[in-house]
Amino acid sequence: MQDILLNLWISHKTQIVFVIESFLKATIFLNGIMAFTALLTLGERKVSALMQDRIGPNRASIFGLTLGGLFHPIADGIKLLTKEDFIPEKADKVFFTIAPIIGLVSVLTCFAFIPFGNHIEILGHKVRLLIADIDSSVFMIMAISSMAIYSPFMGGYFSGNNFAFLGAMRAAAQMISYESVIGLSLIPMLIIYSSASMSEIVVKQGNLLMAFIPAWGIFLQPLSFLIFLTAAVAENKRTPFDVVEGESEIVGYFIEYSSMRFGAFMFAEFVEIILVSMLSVTFFLGGWQVPYLSENGFNFPFSSAISIPPIIVSLLQVASFAIKTALFSVFLLIVRWTLPRMRFDQIMSFCWKFLLPLALANLFITALILRYLGTVRL
Amino acid sequence: MSFMPKIKIDGKEYIAKENETILQCAQRNGIYIPRYCYHPSLSIAGNCRMCLVEIEKMPKLQTACSTIVAEGMNVFTSSEKVKKARKDVLEFLLKNHPIDCPICDQAGECYLQDYYMDYGLRKSRVSLNEKVRRGKRRQLGDYLILDNERCILCTRCVRFCEEVTKTSELFVANRGDHSFIDIKPETSLNNPYSLNIADICPVGAFTSADFRFRQRVWFLKTTESICLGCATGCRIKVQHNDNTVYRILPLPNEETNTWLCDFGRMTYKEMYSEDRLNHITIESQEFGLDLDKVFDYIKEVKPQEIAVFLSPNLSIEDNIALYYFASNVLKTENIFIPSLPERKIEDGILKNSDPYPNSTGIEIIANKLKLKKDEKTSEKFALVISSLEIAKTYARDSKGIFFSLTKSDMNGAIVPMKSYFENEGTFVNWQKYARKTTVSVVNEKAFSVFDVMKRLAVLFGSNSFFSSLKDIEKFISSNGIDKEFK
Amino acid sequence: MIKVKNIKIRELNIWERIYIPEIIRGLGVTLRHLFSNLLNPSSIPTISYPEEKVLLPGHAKERSRHRIKLRKDGTPKCVACMLCATICPAKCIHIEAGETENFVEKYPKKFDIDLSRCVMCGLCVEACPEDAIIMDTEEIPGGAKDRNASYGKDGLYATKEQLFEKKREISTFGAANRLANEFLLSKERGNRND
Repeated sequence: MQDILLNLWISHKTQIVFVIESFLKATIFLNGIMAFTALLTLGERKVSALMQDRIGPNRASIFGLTLGGLFHPIADGIKLLTKEDFIPEKADKVFFTIAPIIGLVSVLTCFAFIPFGNHIEILGHKVRLLIADIDSSVFMIMAISSMAIYSPFMGGYFSGNNFAFLGAMRAAAQMISYESVIGLSLIPMLIIYSSASMSEIVVKQGNLLMAFIPAWGIFLQPLSFLIFLTAAVAENKRTPFDVVEGESEIVGYFIEYSSMRFGAFMFAEFVEIILVSMLSVTFFLGGWQVPYLSENGFNFPFSSAISIPPIIVSLLQVASFAIKTALFSVFLLIVRWTLPRMRFDQIMSFCWKFLLPLALANLFITALILRYLGTVRL
Repeated sequence: MSFMPKIKIDGKEYIAKENETILQCAQRNGIYIPRYCYHPSLSIAGNCRMCLVEIEKMPKLQTACSTIVAEGMNVFTSSEKVKKARKDVLEFLLKNHPIDCPICDQAGECYLQDYYMDYGLRKSRVSLNEKVRRGKRRQLGDYLILDNERCILCTRCVRFCEEVTKTSELFVANRGDHSFIDIKPETSLNNPYSLNIADICPVGAFTSADFRFRQRVWFLKTTESICLGCATGCRIKVQHNDNTVYRILPLPNEETNTWLCDFGRMTYKEMYSEDRLNHITIESQEFGLDLDKVFDYIKEVKPQEIAVFLSPNLSIEDNIALYYFASNVLKTENIFIPSLPERKIEDGILKNSDPYPNSTGIEIIANKLKLKKDEKTSEKFALVISSLEIAKTYARDSKGIFFSLTKSDMNGAIVPMKSYFENEGTFVNWQKYARKTTVSVVNEKAFSVFDVMKRLAVLFGSNSFFSSLKDIEKFISSNGIDKEFK
Repeated sequence: MIKVKNIKIRELNIWERIYIPEIIRGLGVTLRHLFSNLLNPSSIPTISYPEEKVLLPGHAKERSRHRIKLRKDGTPKCVACMLCATICPAKCIHIEAGETENFVEKYPKKFDIDLSRCVMCGLCVEACPEDAIIMDTEEIPGGAKDRNASYGKDGLYATKEQLFEKKREISTFGAANRLANEFLLSKERGNRND
């Protein structure tokens, strides 16, 4: 028995290490995201409360300990799990059931392509901090995240409820429209960094422009950033683009959903916030890059350098990515609680008559400039 | 042609009548001058000083209630001077007032409260403990309670007893701060119109013992109706709340009445007496509200043996229903009206010698429809249909269907009847004024006579009976009955 | 005839039409609130009710379960004037007045408050001219205490007896109560003379 295992180890060492490594990375990363999502549900309520001069949730307690409402996500989860799971008579049981799952799975899968750090050396083994490193990861993300449209559409369509159906139609129309804008807003980035691999894009953002500005997407393509941000919020169906369901005011596609099925829709929405933040950070805010930090330490322009051990550098880079993502998520929450809701016709005309031409023009001008400047050395 | 002086009130010109006072002229033209002692049906006293108005070229303010208009008078009813005078008068009147509005029944319809809100609004300069104390609650007669502390000595009550009832029980005793309303020794305030004193008292000094503490006046809703106490048929205001009648007030009108007698005010009590019938009784057996049982009771009797007496207690509509049922459903010719007492005002005020409210009405019906009068040989008939009061005279011993408000030991089917506070109907008073009662309260446990006749007609298999009160109205006008009404 | 009122909508200037500066301005407002509340949580006006209590304006300073104050001799101060029943927006007070041989003629024969209908607005306390009804028992009707409460057979129906609090504070306020005060005072003097 031992011999067989040993033989297997010797003959398939790289494969086994790859499997274990991938599994551990996926477990740690996805669990981190799940925990962060839970915190984000609390964060949204707290941020909105503070913005509106309220206290926010602060009552859930364990043995009298409230920790400023830290247990509310747990209480919410328990509540959702213990509520009656109701499937309407007219609903299609199979599609009704898988609709929220599709949403959650398609969003979570996207995280596989996001580099959350450069690499780290463990036991002399160089581990790339990225679950799936493929060359066309940008397109993979675009493809998989488009799958998320099926979730609201199926949920509404197969609920057997006319209001849910209308909500689903609105959701599908809005999400498909803004999907194209998202794609068009990212293509200039691909042209500039001349790569469709996310890890490569992030690595190239570590360079400096004119020797002191980090070559982040936001500095190279501010317009693209704005377009992407707008479209991503719309894709995420959050205020100011939330006529799809509008929580308490507008009947949306998930009107027939209850208990954890409803919870899954809400959870997917929050995971999507993190996805949008991570994509924005990756494309436009330098990903895991810390300004002026290279493999050996800080190399400040026009002055001296500080050398730092590689392991610390790796951790700093992961921390940088996490902090950027967290701050951007909070920024998205603040945007949601600041802007008033748009009308549905405004949403659609804004997309097709303003954002799409703008994105196309941006793409065209970027291509034109690059044609005459020659390829930028990044 | 009499002399018609032109006067100006608040800058507008009006044509007054001869010997009219300023207050009356203003009232006629929609200008309200506050008053306590003035009452349109009593003599003018001019002692409350509330109606002071300013008249051009007169050095002092004059009381509007006692100043006769003169050609070219220029009156101001709301100048600063007048307003100040009213405020001061009110302060004097309220000086010794106990302000116990929470326990006073007048609260809500009190002139003191109204004028205080309109003109006074000043804190009393006399503290509660320094106020002159007079007697509190004192029962005068069966229906009246006098609280001298609240009295402002307008003497409306004294004048009422002197001028209207001419019994003069009340007078003002003592002088100055100590004067109060008192009753003459060894008399009691039990004249038949005593409750009018509670109405005309502008404050809470005289209150009704019957209405006492039963309901606050602001909860009461008012419907206009007529009193069925006698053939006078006074117009009344029925005040009720939550499906209960609480009191009856006169609705002054030129044709019939300014006042209302105590007997008329108490007629509503029959509705709430313990004897009130709320189920059908046949031969001392109770049958709920099932009219089929009444049908079973009369269906065996031959139509020729049934007599129908129209009743002066019932409205025109109900009597017509009785008549039509007898002639068209039962097809009997035994339709009579009872002999009716003489009608005249007995005491010179309101009380009529005829206790029935609709005697004139059924006389008109009898004339028009050519009905026989006064068939005393009731033994001839096996069954009599009428109201209970008539049946007591004409069917003492025979069987019958009797409509009644209250329980009775009469032999026969006794059907609970809606009183005319619960039902509408036309009554013709002794002056031939036809007036309608209105539904003030709802009673589900009694029938109107029309309802009973309609149901019985259906059970008899007739399809030519009236289907609604509108049909009865048509019948009345087609037979020319309403031409006799005023 | 329907009146038409023309409302002029202000035209947006170019800065507002670009929209992004306005978004940033809006973000500034919300962020200002966010950070000022984050750094100085005591500036949040929220009151955590059962733990913190604030006295309300007017006579009904506290708004908990009602009680009726008693006079020195143990009779209720209420004279059944029905002002509370009149002003009550929930129509939850039912009073029947009766007459006594007492110094104040009127007293409540029946005084019921249907606490399940009560909206705890305190208007009855404001309206009371006799300072008789008050909401200071510090019990919240319908709260956890009421699950085992002995208030009436329906739990939230307070009859007259249940509204009489044993607290014997003597209040001389109120118009009709002047009579009671004088009466009690004279009685006391009389006793002293004996």
